[in-house]
Amino acid sequence: MLFARYYLWIGPHVLLAVFLVCLLRRKLHGQLPIFTSFVIFELIQFIVLFTISRHSPLPGAIYGWVLVFGEGISSILGFGVIYELANELLLSRSSSASVLRPGLRAMLAVLLLGAAIGSGALYGISMQRVINTFEVIDFSSYLIQAGMVLGLFVFARALRFSWRSWVAGVALGFGVSGCMDLASAAFRGFGKTSFIAVDLTQMAAFHVCVVIWLVSLFLADHAPPFPDGKLKLSDLELWDQELQRMVRR
Amino acid sequence: MTIAMIFVFLGLLALALTIYLAKGQLSSGGDLQKLSTQLRSVDVAAFCNLISASEQDYLRGHLPSREFRSIHRERMLAAVEYVRCAARNAAILIRLGESARQHSDPSVREAGEKLLENGLRLRLYALQLVPRLYLSMAFPKFGPASNPLADAYENMSRQVVRLSRLDFPTHDMSSAL
Repeated sequence: MLFARYYLWIGPHVLLAVFLVCLLRRKLHGQLPIFTSFVIFELIQFIVLFTISRHSPLPGAIYGWVLVFGEGISSILGFGVIYELANELLLSRSSSASVLRPGLRAMLAVLLLGAAIGSGALYGISMQRVINTFEVIDFSSYLIQAGMVLGLFVFARALRFSWRSWVAGVALGFGVSGCMDLASAAFRGFGKTSFIAVDLTQMAAFHVCVVIWLVSLFLADHAPPFPDGKLKLSDLELWDQELQRMVRR
Repeated sequence: MTIAMIFVFLGLLALALTIYLAKGQLSSGGDLQKLSTQLRSVDVAAFCNLISASEQDYLRGHLPSREFRSIHRERMLAAVEYVRCAARNAAILIRLGESARQHSDPSVREAGEKLLENGLRLRLYALQLVPRLYLSMAFPKFGPASNPLADAYENMSRQVVRLSRLDFPTHDMSSAL
């Protein structure tokens, strides 16, 4: 059990470091700068927390407050990544932006309301202030992240967007991790055993998330070539003219 | 505990939905030859007739109220089917545009980009129109007679007209449409 806990704590971060190196070497970090900051911050947070837990003579409360502070920054960066994904995958396509923005805003409002209700219901489940604060940040950010990523996928499905790129992998990783974290976060306050079980579940979810990111990055190298060699520019122009006439009025 | 269980259920449901939707996104889009067989022809004249405000007024004036509502409901259902066909055809155009964006020739890439954008706009029209048609089905007063909706219908009918005229010689799509 101890091995599993250490593996799930260290393993994903080692993979995350590999992912970051690949990202920087392929110069893809410019495509999602907030996501790159998020990855770097996750690595820094891991190093700091690991060092405190193993070598620090400081009391346990310090670890707790560093964790809460880190979770807060991580959540803010996570929301930034969701915005970046929405922009990259949906909003950058000018025709859909004006219609999709209100939809995304409405979804965010509903999720914020849900997070507030859920946090209110779960707050005070533990006697320790630091754990309560951590739970509220943890739960709210996961609910919003999971909901927003799911919303992005629903929009993409409705409009038949194609996401065959590593950015889609980033969204999927976030979605899987966010949903698993949401499902487990609500149990965090039910005693020490549940706290450990929730931790293990969330670390496993993060492991899956990092593996998805890595796989999507490697698959991006093998993007299928232009599938139809017979397609001519004149055909495309004809189709486009027809469509322009359709939508112009 | 109940609240916790609710959020566990919501989390797992969201996970299942995310994986299901992502699976559709990440799977291969298929070649254009296969996609062309999925095109459905759209009878534009029939669609225009279905959403015509004057036609609706005529029916309202000449049929008993109950019979008019029943017929209007069937007409709107048929119109929804036409719109869905057009949206499906637009989805294939989007796929074509996406394919063209990967082409080595910049002019083809640019043309593909435009095609993609217009195809997306068409799907947005369709997404907005279907609920309105259902609304009209329930409340005929909110039907094609209202100005904004009539505009939307007209736009959609134009889209369908153009879609039915789209010609894709390499895959014989024009006959399918």
